[in-house]
This record gives sequence, structure tokens and C-alpha cells, in this order.
Amino acid sequence: MTVNGKQEQLRLGFLTAIEVPDKGFVGGLLVTNHQGRPLEFQCTVPIKANVTQEILYGPTLASFILGELIGGTLVEKAGVKPQLILTDQLQILELRNHIDRPVALVEKVPTEPASGESGPRRSIRLGRQIIQFHPAHVEDESMVSRDTKQVPADADLQEPFERVREALQETLKSGALR
Amino acid sequence: MIGDDTVLIPAPDCFPQADVEQSPLAAGNSRPEVQIYASGLNVALNRVPKVRCVSVPVQIADVTLLPWRPNWSRVKTIRLTFPAGFEFLPPPKERQSAAGANELIPVQAPAPPPATAGDGAVPERKATRIKPPAEAISIEDRLFYLLQPPLETWLKGQELIMPFEPFPYQYEGIAWLFSQKSALLADEMGLGKTMQTITAIRLLLRAGQARRILLVCPKPLIPNWQREFKMWAEELPVVTIEWDGTRRQMLWTMPGVTILLANYELLVRDMETFGDAPPQFDLVILDEAQRIKNRDSRTATTARHVPRKRTWALTGTPIENRPEELASLYEFMEVIPPRATPDIRQLTQLAKKFILRRTKDLVMKDLPPRLDRDEYLDLAPAQRLAYDTAEKEGVVQLNELGESISIQHVFELVLRLKQITNFDPLTGESSKLERVEADMEEIAECGGKAILFSQWTRCIDWLEQRLARFNPLVYHGKVPTPKREPILKRFKEDPKSHLLMMSYATGAVGLNLQFAGYVFLFDRWWNPAIEDQAINRAHRIGQKSQVIVTRFISKDTIEERINRVLDEKRRLFAAVLGEGDATNVSLSMNASEIFGLFDLKARHGKGTRAIGPQAPAA
Repeated sequence: MTVNGKQEQLRLGFLTAIEVPDKGFVGGLLVTNHQGRPLEFQCTVPIKANVTQEILYGPTLASFILGELIGGTLVEKAGVKPQLILTDQLQILELRNHIDRPVALVEKVPTEPASGESGPRRSIRLGRQIIQFHPAHVEDESMVSRDTKQVPADADLQEPFERVREALQETLKSGALR
Repeated sequence: MIGDDTVLIPAPDCFPQADVEQSPLAAGNSRPEVQIYASGLNVALNRVPKVRCVSVPVQIADVTLLPWRPNWSRVKTIRLTFPAGFEFLPPPKERQSAAGANELIPVQAPAPPPATAGDGAVPERKATRIKPPAEAISIEDRLFYLLQPPLETWLKGQELIMPFEPFPYQYEGIAWLFSQKSALLADEMGLGKTMQTITAIRLLLRAGQARRILLVCPKPLIPNWQREFKMWAEELPVVTIEWDGTRRQMLWTMPGVTILLANYELLVRDMETFGDAPPQFDLVILDEAQRIKNRDSRTATTARHVPRKRTWALTGTPIENRPEELASLYEFMEVIPPRATPDIRQLTQLAKKFILRRTKDLVMKDLPPRLDRDEYLDLAPAQRLAYDTAEKEGVVQLNELGESISIQHVFELVLRLKQITNFDPLTGESSKLERVEADMEEIAECGGKAILFSQWTRCIDWLEQRLARFNPLVYHGKVPTPKREPILKRFKEDPKSHLLMMSYATGAVGLNLQFAGYVFLFDRWWNPAIEDQAINRAHRIGQKSQVIVTRFISKDTIEERINRVLDEKRRLFAAVLGEGDATNVSLSMNASEIFGLFDLKARHGKGTRAIGPQAPAA
């Protein structure tokens, strides 16, 4: 991606969620530049599945809530759109089926695909971690491979998720999410 | 067989179907006639029909939709956008070696990049997170700080190039400064207040929290700050307020200037010319902020009136004489109302919130030790005679003054006697000089470097002649400012220069001379905090060997008596900034203590008025 012949800075989205007892899930998306400096943060109010959703989605309920509902909303409403969305929760990988940009799972070590996944996940090293793409979207790897070179080799991609979780806790504590 | 037996087979019309060739009879007719035998057999069945395929549009019957569909309510979100920060030109890739290009010595070699374990697991590393300040109430403000990356990530080889890896306590200091609207960084001398401040400034600029910054420091420290900015943040444009009034006026108001560097004198002079419309700043920093300890001084008043959003103060000695001096700093920091007089308890509470102070004992366990030795010397015979005579005559004269005696009279005698303990003006005898010469022989022999401090420039000039064989360099108030920096450079780089002689007033603050392993206090200052500042020119970060500090005290003289008083006060003083903080216990002598130095018939003084020269104002 270039703007006026200059390579555009990579924007990474760190998407994760925490579970609040009796209230459901709260999701947060932190968009940073390629070096982890924040550009935008957005979080949802607590989302709890209703009975209909529980019946309709059954075992895929978590993927629906975290990936489609929370992840989809956060990406859709983001003012600063990330070029690559990273998550540390497997269920959020489902988001890829609902948006047109790559989503990858950040893991310390590669994991086996979950049952029901259509094939092996493609993985690349990014910073100090391995990121794995959605098995149904193998093209994601090539889509991001050039831009991800901007990420320093010693970048810790797990760390921003800690920031997001801390920010979610702080927001919950403040009562702003009521 | 029957002649024309073509038959039309009605086809269902709901899917593509073979189009059956119709007989001419059938064309335009509603129903073809079919010949049928009398037996009832249809003759058309005897022959194979001709069939060809054509496509017809699919006609789908209307589907009745269910009246119910899942209805997911829209998910509400909260959004925080971070301000865009400054983007600076990257510094040149080719850096000169630190030792060659700068006065500073590396604090520590950069740590190697963390190695990943064989299983891909990432080793744990310490992360310094920026905490939201207590006064940040809105969730947006708190999230702004919480979501900043750990300083190590931010600084180390990623976005902001750091020449050297900071110490953990420095990371904490930077994070604390970054988040504070009002802050007093009171680290003990030598712990890197300058670097922490410059780095926090970089972060503020990068994070879009500041665009215009004023840094005020004593005039002799301007080159020091310029050098340190170049060292730690060479991408930051720094403009120094100097030259004549018209040009300074232009510099103060020039748009696009990020960091302005000014000395206290010019701040006072130039701000008065602006009247009611002084230039505004996002951040104002006062270095050596004890300069505004007197809240009624012009400097303090002027500093308080500079419009700003954030206020930082830097000093290694937040209290030089009385805890109340802190009140003036707090007023500048806008954490107490104007003219407020907080008591000790309130000062301590405010200190916890707005002051960050670390001592070397606490954080620099790996700093080479400082060895203090008090050298009690007998005066040389001619010195002794001169001293005894001067004291006897002086006391007689004081007694003759009777009730008209003033503290100034006593003080003059003290100064005269102190000068004689340095050297006898008539004969030039000096036991201190003999001792310095002996020590310097040894230091020069092994290629070492020493700094000598004295209260008097005259004494320094006198010593320069007598210690010429050690190529001494002189650095005091009478040396013009442009010549000072080359003197320090030569002292560092010239292997034949073994001795730098400085006045307390000029050399005690802000200089980095950590390549010197020896410090001589040729005479004693009135305030131990100032002496500590002087010693810490050498005993600071970057020092690789132990620092030997020699304090000369002439036996049975006024020096010994002053030393006793100061030691006693040091023990008695209850530190506001924490127990055991020896560098805070700095009190000048007051009037009754000065009177007590002599056996005078009339002793005046209420015991509260501090006397002695002003603290070194550089």
C-alpha cells in the first residue's frame, strides 16, 4: 500500500474480549501503528446472548457473539480501519467470515485447527509471535505479507492485548459501559 | 399406421422442458385432433416423437416468508481517538560513537534483543507501564495513559531511538513525568534527571500532548542542556533564547518552535516586556528549580505567570534551608492556592503525590562507591600565627562594638579566618596546598583526574600558579561563558590535564564530570547540600570507578567549629521527603549559630535568620 509513492504505515487492530459475570462479553479493539502506538480504541457495552441466540447458534454461540457481533461491530464502527486484525481468542477468528480484511490469531506456538475447521491454518511469524490465518481465507497471508515487514522483529504482539483488557476493566470500573 | 399422427404432449411449465414439434394442425388450434382406432388405440403412440430443447425462464412460485426473524439489537460502543503526534525526521543512521561525540559516558550498553526459547516461548521481560495520574478523572483521560505501550517497547529501538538503555528507575521516572500535569522530579544529583526529562518530552510530543515547550535553567547549564538534547533526542528542534532584545523577542514568538531553552535572567527580563500577553506553552520546565524557593522573588513571580498547561520542576535539592521552600515550588506547580502556607503534614502529603525522589542508595546499587574522608590538617606555622592573630584581634574588635555588633561583623571575621585557613596571604604557606600537591602527584602519576572546589575565585587563581605542573584548568564565574565548554572538553580529552578547579557557585550544578575519580573540597561551603551537588559532578551515572572525596578541615580553627554545627544540624533535621534522605538535610547556618562560633560577650540573633552567602546561583 503506497500513498504518493511512500509506503503507508501499517495499522494493526488488536481485538479481544473479556467475560463479565452475569453481563456477558465486553469487546475492545485497539488500533495501533506498526510499532504499537495507539491510534484509536473502541469497546462495546457488555453483550449477553439471549435465549433465541443460544438456541439458534448452539455450540457456535461464542463465535457468533465474539466474532460476528462484537468483532463485526467494532471493525465496522472503527474510524481508523486496521489493515490486519489480530486476536488472541480463537472464536474471534470467525470474524473473518464477515469482513473483507485479514484476521489472524496470535499465538506463542502454532496450534492445531479446531474440529470443524475446513483445513490447516496458514501461519507466519510476526514480531516475536506466530500468527495464524483463517483456514477458509488462505489468501490473507499474501495480502499482509508485504506490510507486515514494517513490524519490528522483536515486537511483542501479545502485549497490546493486555492493554486492551486493562482498558476494558478500567472502563467497566468507571461505569461508562452501563 | 395412420397418416399424420403428430401429437402435442402438454409439458409441465415449471422447469425447462423439451419443446415438442407441433403439427400444423396443432398450430393456432386449441386442441389437436388425434386419430384413434376403433379399438381405442391411439395411432400416435406407434411412432417416436421428435423432441428438441429450448430454454424457458424459470418461474418460481411465490414463497411465503415467515413473519419472524432474529432481531439483534445494535451493539453500542465507546470510542477514543488518540491525537496525532509530531512526526520528526529520523536522525542520521550513522551516529558517531558516543564517547567521541558527547560529554556523556554511556550509562549502560544496550541490552541484546531478547532471545526466544527453543519452543518459541517468549521470555518474560519487564515492562514499565504508564499509569493514569490521580487527577485524571474522565475515562478518556485514563484510557489515554493506560493504552500507551510500555516504555521499553516505545523507546527501545522502535519508534524513539535511544542511544543507551535507561535504568529501570529511569523508565519509571519517565513514565511518571509523562503522566503528570504538575511534577517535581527531585532525584538526587547524578541519577539522570536531564535524560528522564528529555525522554518524557519526546513522548509528549510523539503522543500529541505538547507542541510548545519552555525549559528554563541557570545560564551556565544552557550548553549542558543543548548537548543532552543532541545526545538523547537529536530529532527535536531546540531554540535557545539569546542575543539582543529584538532577536529574543522574535525567538519567543516564532511559530513552529517546539522547544525553547532560556536562562532565568532572560526569562525575567523578556517576560516583563510582553506585559499582559506573554507567549503560551504546553509545558514549562524549571531546571534547578530551587531558584524560585523564595516565592516573592522576581524569578518566582515571573515563572508563575508564564501561561502553561503542564508544569514540571527539576531539582536535586528541593529543600535547601527550610521545608517551607517547597511551598514556593508547589505554588509554581499550581497544586496549592496562591500564598497558601501548608504545614509540614500537608507538605508531606503533597510530596507523595507530586514529587518523585530517588536517592543513589536506593536505585544505584551498582554505582561505584563514594569514599568520603575528612582530612583534619594542622595549619602551617606562619598560617597558625596569622590565624591566631586575626582571630584574637577580630574577637576584640567585635567585643568593642558592644551592642552595635551585627551579624555582618561576625560574618566578615568568619570569612577572613576561612581565607587564612586556605593560605597565609603574607607568606603563602598552606597546609592544604601541601596536601593537594602530594595527592595530585599520585593522581597524575596514574593518569587520574581530580576536581577541586573552593568558595573563592581568588584562591583558585592562587592555586593555579602553584599547581601549574599538573596543567590545572580553571572554571569559575570570571571565565566568560563561551570559554567554559572548551575547558570542560579539554579536561576530559587532554590526558595531561589532571586537575579542574571550580568555584562552588559556577561548578556545583548540572555538569557531568564522571570521568574524574577525585574531588577536593579545599574549603567548606555553608550548606552540605551544595557540597553534595559539587561532589556529584563526579559521582554520577557513568562513573566507572570509586570517587574519593577529600574535605579539608583545618584543626582548631573556625572550619572545625562550622563542621560540627553542620553535622549536628544534619542529624537533627527531620526530612520532609522521607526518612534517611541525607541529602535533604541541608541547612545553612543561622544567626545565632554564627554568633556561637566565637566566644563573644554580646550574642544577638533570634536564631531564625539564615546568614551566609546566597546559595550558588551559578
